[in-house]
Amino acid sequence: MSSGLASDEVAEDYKNSLEDLTTNDRFQISNLTVIAKENTEHAMAISRVLENHIRATPPAQKLPALYVVDSIVKNVGTPYTLFLGRNLYQTFMNAYTLVDSQTRRKLDEMLKTWKEPVPGSLDTRPVFPPDITRSIENALIKARTAALQQQQARGQPDVFNRGRVATPPGWTNTPTPPQNAARYPPSSNQPLQGRTGSANGHPSTGESIPVRSTPTPQLQAQDVDLSYLNRDIEVLIAAARNEFANNPLDPSVQQRLKALLDLQGIMQRQQLTQEQLKLVRDQVSALAPKPAIQHSSQIPVTSSPAITTPPVTQPFSQPLQQLLNPGTLAGLIKATAAQQQQPTPPPQISPMLSQLAAAGSTPQISTSAPENPLIAALRAKGLLPASSTPPGPSAPPSNVATTTFPFIVPGQVRYTPPVPTPQAMTTAETQMTVQMNTASIKIPRSMLIAGLYEARSNRCGTCGRRFFATEEGKQKKARHLDWHFRTNQRMADAARRGQNRSWYVDERDWIKSREIGDDQITTDNETATENTPGTDNKPSSKKGPPKQWVRAPNDATLRNTPCPICQEKFESTWSEDVQDWIWQDAVKVGSRVYHASCYDEVTKDGPAPAPRETPQGRTGTPDSVLGKRKAEGPESPGQNVRVKTEPI
Amino acid sequence: MSLPGLELTQPSAEREFVAAPPSQINLSPGSEWRFEVAFGTTIRVKLLTGNAEIFGTELAPSQTYTFSGAKSAIYTWHGCTLEVSAGDAVSGLDGMTTTPTATRSGFGAGGCQSEYIAEETPMVEYANVHFALETLRTEAKASGKDGPRVLILGPEDAGKTSLTKILTSYAVKVGREPIVVNLDPSEGMLSVPGTLTATAFRSMLDVEEGWGSSPMSGPSAVPVKLPLVYCYPMVNPLEAEGSVYRPIVSRLALSVMGRMAEDEDARETGIIVDTPGILSQSRAGALEMINHIVTEFSITTILVIGSERLYSLMMKNYENKPSSSASAATLDERISVVKLSKSGGCVDRDGAFMRAVCESQIRTYFFGNPVPSTGSSAQSLSASSTTNVTLSPHAQQLDFDTLALYNYTTSSAEDENAEDDDYDPAKLTTGDSFYPGDNDAEWSAQQGENTSSFPGINPANNNSASAAAVGNALVPLKKVPAPAPSALANTLLAITHCPPTNNTAEIRDASTMGFLYVADVDSERGKIRVLAPMGGRVPSRAIVWGKKWPAEVVGLVG
Repeated sequence: MSSGLASDEVAEDYKNSLEDLTTNDRFQISNLTVIAKENTEHAMAISRVLENHIRATPPAQKLPALYVVDSIVKNVGTPYTLFLGRNLYQTFMNAYTLVDSQTRRKLDEMLKTWKEPVPGSLDTRPVFPPDITRSIENALIKARTAALQQQQARGQPDVFNRGRVATPPGWTNTPTPPQNAARYPPSSNQPLQGRTGSANGHPSTGESIPVRSTPTPQLQAQDVDLSYLNRDIEVLIAAARNEFANNPLDPSVQQRLKALLDLQGIMQRQQLTQEQLKLVRDQVSALAPKPAIQHSSQIPVTSSPAITTPPVTQPFSQPLQQLLNPGTLAGLIKATAAQQQQPTPPPQISPMLSQLAAAGSTPQISTSAPENPLIAALRAKGLLPASSTPPGPSAPPSNVATTTFPFIVPGQVRYTPPVPTPQAMTTAETQMTVQMNTASIKIPRSMLIAGLYEARSNRCGTCGRRFFATEEGKQKKARHLDWHFRTNQRMADAARRGQNRSWYVDERDWIKSREIGDDQITTDNETATENTPGTDNKPSSKKGPPKQWVRAPNDATLRNTPCPICQEKFESTWSEDVQDWIWQDAVKVGSRVYHASCYDEVTKDGPAPAPRETPQGRTGTPDSVLGKRKAEGPESPGQNVRVKTEPI
Repeated sequence: MSLPGLELTQPSAEREFVAAPPSQINLSPGSEWRFEVAFGTTIRVKLLTGNAEIFGTELAPSQTYTFSGAKSAIYTWHGCTLEVSAGDAVSGLDGMTTTPTATRSGFGAGGCQSEYIAEETPMVEYANVHFALETLRTEAKASGKDGPRVLILGPEDAGKTSLTKILTSYAVKVGREPIVVNLDPSEGMLSVPGTLTATAFRSMLDVEEGWGSSPMSGPSAVPVKLPLVYCYPMVNPLEAEGSVYRPIVSRLALSVMGRMAEDEDARETGIIVDTPGILSQSRAGALEMINHIVTEFSITTILVIGSERLYSLMMKNYENKPSSSASAATLDERISVVKLSKSGGCVDRDGAFMRAVCESQIRTYFFGNPVPSTGSSAQSLSASSTTNVTLSPHAQQLDFDTLALYNYTTSSAEDENAEDDDYDPAKLTTGDSFYPGDNDAEWSAQQGENTSSFPGINPANNNSASAAAVGNALVPLKKVPAPAPSALANTLLAITHCPPTNNTAEIRDASTMGFLYVADVDSERGKIRVLAPMGGRVPSRAIVWGKKWPAEVVGLVG
């Protein structure tokens, strides 16, 4: 296992194993650690898999995955410490912001141990280099401080937050929830609750607050502080760049980064009026908190500005809406276009850099937040052309996600080309209809290709067949791998004896036959096919002789070999259906042929004869007769077996 | 696919084989690597990174795939890196042949005769066809209609079969079960040439072998497919003015419709029909034959590859016309005609290559997919990925008198132009002297009648003596009398599922059970030596002689 395999293959195996880790199962975790230990030459690939897994897995499963990281760095150490340390900040903070407070406490404890040497180790260095852990700690402290401030500031009007955030009714109308749900199905609940709680300004736990750290103070200032604004944009750009570096191919990230850079350009080139600044500030601050909530929180965030603009629940957006009705906006744009001025470099930024490190935490985590909120918010607030017809709650849902995200540049209205978000793809895949005509089929639809590839991420290493990464897909794959296993065994077996082409079926049998996939639950005739060659290894075998039979061997000595159990010879009979001489009531086990009834008698309590066992899933394979495969007992856990037995 | 002893027809641009070092090929997203490998040489291809597919079937990462005798392409949507290395030259297999094999290879990566990377492919169009079909399938399911029935038309070597494979692969990939119908007798699908087949696909296609394998007595690394096979032992579907082809197509369509009626998955997915290129050339009777196919399969979508002329014809004749299915009127089912680009990778497969393909398919039917090499250590590593199953056919002697052997007695000199000679060199050797009474005039007269009044495909029609007489008279199928003609040697015999005493219309329409290869004819003793796919008595069924096609295959039995 540890040699000669490509990294991505190991990574693929590891990924599959990780996906089965849903609870804090000590055994599984230690098993994963052992695999990592045995494959240190693939440490980079495994680390990458771990990071990706932690990022993508539902919040409830983040803790066990992080425990795997913990176990690996403590038990294996380098090079994993090195590889995992690189992105530890993102990995950790990403997870931290998404999990509930109880899990956070556990994460805090874990983080504490990373600052210390490995218990019982002679090495006195801490698990991770101090600078890594310190940056995480700083971010956490900062977040808590901000949370405290927020709590203190609760008495003050908190309408901004409420307006932006607490619009649960809007969710149902949004396009985003299904998309997000598709991607992170189980994650939607917990953090949402946390979100709603904090949105009301009465967070139940201090931890759920860091979310609001950056924007809150600024929002409460009546005048827009340009430096704050610039700083925030700067930070967002940094985050977006970071994300872009990680996912250079993700169009949504590109889009977002571009939008931010445009915004920055506007900020620097133009002297904006207070109103405009307010607008921009609002967008930026609207963007900032979201990231902290992460994927699940996209749901409310996206929807509230974009769709629920008019409802009463948005005291804040109301005045803005009035302020920026289309006429005003046009005026503003004209005004700014006229006021071409020197760029206003933000020198204020440098003194704040120290703060940035901490405050940056929020946006940094934002890396995976989509650009929708920003754009949608801009549109809702009137910065976007679409504002002339503010989308009401009944706006066609898919528009928000898939239509263009035009961004305004003062002086002209420019539309950026539509770039669907990756989330939109998965939904669109099922909705998108392609007309069958010559013009329509010339349009490239790369997102549909994802339905053939990315949507089915669970891939068989032997034949390349893809399965969904769902529970059902996993079961199918397990059965599929079983099929490979059985087939390989039987092929090795069959190579020793002669095989031949079967006759083709006739029309009636063909019409009655049903293709049986290799991922379906194998039926009891599965191994019978090994013994009943010819046309009868197909479902069309209904006409075959009753019970079990084998072809009479051509070899004279074999033909005269008696049943080893009853020592009686077999009787050859001509079967019209098979068009061959056969032995009725016979079963071939290994190289010997037995009377099926004799064999039944003898093996009743032993290893069950193949044809009567109904194999289910990965266990209970009838091939146990061949003695090659052990039942999966507690001493051979599934994870391990999976990795080890996958055929090369 | 090894063809010991069959390399006589190979192009001459081959030299002494020197093992080329493995080379890596980087494909950018949306490009494909096209390669040609001669029969007799093999290359190994391994997917190192990324995703890649061959005619829609995805390659598994890090698996070694072996190709021989192929003109093919590996496409990638996402970009990939391939490793190509020379495989071992194919040597004799199974002791059946002792012909030493000369090794031949070109100078491309891994010893390909030709290989290059192409950036421009029509894959976007082809994939969109799949998505459009998926849309239709979803609609069909919602409204209770049958899934789309697709007819693929285009001239020779335009990529019809490749497109069929792509559409099949994608459909299987998203969990559908298309019924794929091959109406091209020049190349078999899951069978030998000279057959028309229908197969429901639910499992992956074989990366190396194109379609996969029909059932064998043993297991197969890629799930076997179950074809329904009809024998049409001629290259040209318009032979005898289509009087043989037409009823077989009808019969095949009937079976497919029967399957559709009972198999829910197949019904939702629909049919994909691949056709011979000859139908897309402006031959007399070709349009009528296309119309026949469109009607019999209730075609709803016509895809035309690489022929503007045919496309405009099809547009005129079929676009937006109601399909022929019984429910077309109520469900407003209309035919759409779509034009597709021909891939720049389509290469003309010359007669010699087609001949080699034909022979390799016949060989594969009897002997299985040979192991490229037995002594290679690399081979053992890739054992699980290759579908090398060796089959053991049985040789036996048969009394010619006991056989109910039939032969098609069409003689259509007008269709036998130079092109056909390429496919069928044996034709030159077989005289028409067995049936001095037959001549063109007589047959064309009968066929004229045939096309208008053919009784149809219901065997019940033929039960009465008079019907049988009519059937016999109209079908250009004659029992071959003793003594055994020496021209039987090296040809294929198709065993039908039809009892030997039935009339010729039934024999013609009967599905095929399997094939015999005549190794030897002993006219004096009235015996023939045949190779049967499996042991046991040769079933007593009507047998059709593939005298014209696939014709003579030399050296199958050493």
